Amino acid sequence: MTRGRAALLLAFGAVWTVAAWLLWRSSLPAYHLPYLDEHVLFPAHALQRAQHYSSVEDLFWLAKTITQLVVLGFFARYGVRWTRESAAGPIGTGMLLGMIGFALVWAAELPFAVLDVWWRHRYGLSGSYVQATVGNWFALGAQFVLLCVALAIVMGLARARGMGDRWWLPTAPVFVGLRILLAFVTPWLLGGSAFHAPYVAALERTEHVRVPVRVLSGFSEPNAFATGLGASRRVFLWKPIVEPPFAPRMDRFVLAHELGHLAHNHIWKSIGWYALFAFPLAFALAVATQRRGGMGVAAAVPLAILVYVVVQLVELPLQNVVTRHLEAEADWSALRATHDPAAGRQLFRLFASQTLEDPNPPGWDYVFLQNHPTLLQRIEMTRHYARDAP
Amino acid sequence: MHDPHPVRLTVEDDYRRSRVTVFFRLLLAIPHLIWFFLWTLLIIVTGIANWLISIFTGKPPGALHRLMCNYIRYQAHLTAYLALVANPYPGFAGGAGEYPIDIELPAEPVAQRRWTILIRIVLGIPALIVSAALAGSTGGNVSAGGGSGRKSRGFNGGGALLFVCAVLGWFASLARGRMPKGLRDAGAYAIGYSAQTAAYVLLVADRYPNADPTEMLLAVIDRPPRHPVRVVGDPYDLRRSRLTVFFRILLALPHLIWLVLWSIAVFFAAIAQWFVTLFRGTPAGGLHRFLASFVRYRLHVYAYLMLVGNPFPGFTGAAGTYPLDLEVGGPERQNRWKTGFRIFLAIPAFLVSAALGGALFASAVLTWFYAILKGSAPWGLRNLSAYALRYDAQNQAYLLLLTDAYPHASPLEGEDAPVA
Repeated sequence: MTRGRAALLLAFGAVWTVAAWLLWRSSLPAYHLPYLDEHVLFPAHALQRAQHYSSVEDLFWLAKTITQLVVLGFFARYGVRWTRESAAGPIGTGMLLGMIGFALVWAAELPFAVLDVWWRHRYGLSGSYVQATVGNWFALGAQFVLLCVALAIVMGLARARGMGDRWWLPTAPVFVGLRILLAFVTPWLLGGSAFHAPYVAALERTEHVRVPVRVLSGFSEPNAFATGLGASRRVFLWKPIVEPPFAPRMDRFVLAHELGHLAHNHIWKSIGWYALFAFPLAFALAVATQRRGGMGVAAAVPLAILVYVVVQLVELPLQNVVTRHLEAEADWSALRATHDPAAGRQLFRLFASQTLEDPNPPGWDYVFLQNHPTLLQRIEMTRHYARDAP
Repeated sequence: MHDPHPVRLTVEDDYRRSRVTVFFRLLLAIPHLIWFFLWTLLIIVTGIANWLISIFTGKPPGALHRLMCNYIRYQAHLTAYLALVANPYPGFAGGAGEYPIDIELPAEPVAQRRWTILIRIVLGIPALIVSAALAGSTGGNVSAGGGSGRKSRGFNGGGALLFVCAVLGWFASLARGRMPKGLRDAGAYAIGYSAQTAAYVLLVADRYPNADPTEMLLAVIDRPPRHPVRVVGDPYDLRRSRLTVFFRILLALPHLIWLVLWSIAVFFAAIAQWFVTLFRGTPAGGLHRFLASFVRYRLHVYAYLMLVGNPFPGFTGAAGTYPLDLEVGGPERQNRWKTGFRIFLAIPAFLVSAALGGALFASAVLTWFYAILKGSAPWGLRNLSAYALRYDAQNQAYLLLLTDAYPHASPLEGEDAPVA
């Protein structure tokens, strides 16, 4: 590596670090969570049920991930042979290869999807075999379309005159732009019915956020999310969370949590983090595919997909650290807005019995799969607030 | 080239139609329809007997074979008469060689494998589906079970192609006293395929029906004139990748989205081209190329989606890039009247295209299963689909002012008119 290139890389690293530091800053106070024992907080049978369910779910994830990597490994090695099935140019052929790669992964993961439904049924959770197979088929179609758009951009830029192997530099901003567009447009497309509750206006005043709150039906699990940018900002509550056994106090806490996301600009921050991860990812793709002629060549696509998935897997623990941090800030925001730590505590305990989420999962599960603080951590935060908050 | 099918269509029609008999055609056919209904009842009973006997003997008894042959021929004659594929009033006996649209059938019973006789109705399902799409049931008549004619629906219009040919042919014949060649050929093809299907199901032949329109119409000597918009390519490109066939609809999704986006631009380009052609008499070159690329791209995408082609097509509609390709000439002078009323003039062609679309869909579904099993496309269905796509492309070209030559519905490829 030349000295100039090393300096450039160093400067890039410094900019990345500063940007990450700026994005990391939050309203969370410096705190030490009190240690709680999950065996005290949750009934023994409920805890054992959640832990058993989650442990097998973890195994499914592990098996799926390994299968995915094996299939993509083979595809990276032998996938080029499918170029003969294309009469399109390099970009079109690249799209075909990409779609075939996704299709193979889909087919390989299908048994796990079916097993997952079977496992959920054993624990009385909802799940549809039709949705897991045929429904997944349509989801695969949507993935194909997004993949083709992504490959058209990447390969188009990689083939652009004068771009050479620096295509990854403009590519990352293009995807960030698309992400912004998507974040802005998506809330308009989701629909839902208006949510009315006496506490909404008060919460909006406390959080300094005034946005439409909508209820989405068609879901079987309790959940909620905030999304949108500027005029499209919305909070969406999945219907089960506004129905018993979830009490209005808990719904108030949930809504405060989601408004907290918006109040602290978490959507913009997520996009910022996405940008920070996009550059190294694009760079890794550029480096990895060089030996196959770069991303402008269709034959590089199978390898690029493998690299993409591996890099995503490597980044996953980091991304989870970021999202856990954002979620913790939203929890804190909800506590400050509601002054009702008991409601939060009840909500998180109910989550364990309703979704069978392990309140205190094993370490590797926490690192790779938990994009929220664990239920135990969230309950600990409510205790901390109750004890120390002004 | 394959061995000729034992059930062959013969066409000796001269296109001439009597306006009076055309106008009253349905009413005139009433005695035939009653007679046909009675005959079908007989076939239901004898068909079951024929099937049971054949399972044990390996071939149908001679008397029953002749009865089935006469029934199939009569059905073809009657359908041809009703659908205006032929002019004269048919006889009631289904005799061989007595009608311009006739079916050649094996003179003697054919020895057949017993297990295929046993499950003949199951084996015949794909052919019955295609037959229903082309002619309604089989030739509008036989929907047999276990080698027996079980149900007669008469000429019910269920076969979109034959029905559309009949309706359009009725108007054309009344106006001109002649049946248009394209409609006559398309109708004859549908009748021929239905006869092959009926022969297979009724154990007259053990050869599976061949959907290839060109082979079906070998007896038709006169070709339609060469159309300025032609489908070219490699018809022997039958290999299919099982993986891409399995995921074909999903793999085609990006193309379908791109096609929709392109269609929006084409809509405005076509309007502009209409004004240009109306005032200048000749389409604008740039718009002509743009619209030609769109029609070609559409053909590529549909060919891929409907399994007529194997490779993933490009996104630009470039010529010479796909096994099923479109040749389009340059912009030529067009009749202003035809240009002015283009949308209305295109309506009959749209009806034929929609009817062929049904057959194309049935063919694609069946090809999907076949290709998954065998890794190749069946020759007959591939050519049926290519015929449907060719007509659709000519229809699009007509509508989008690439040419003022009307799409020709004949499954036969056109040839240059002989130099005088």
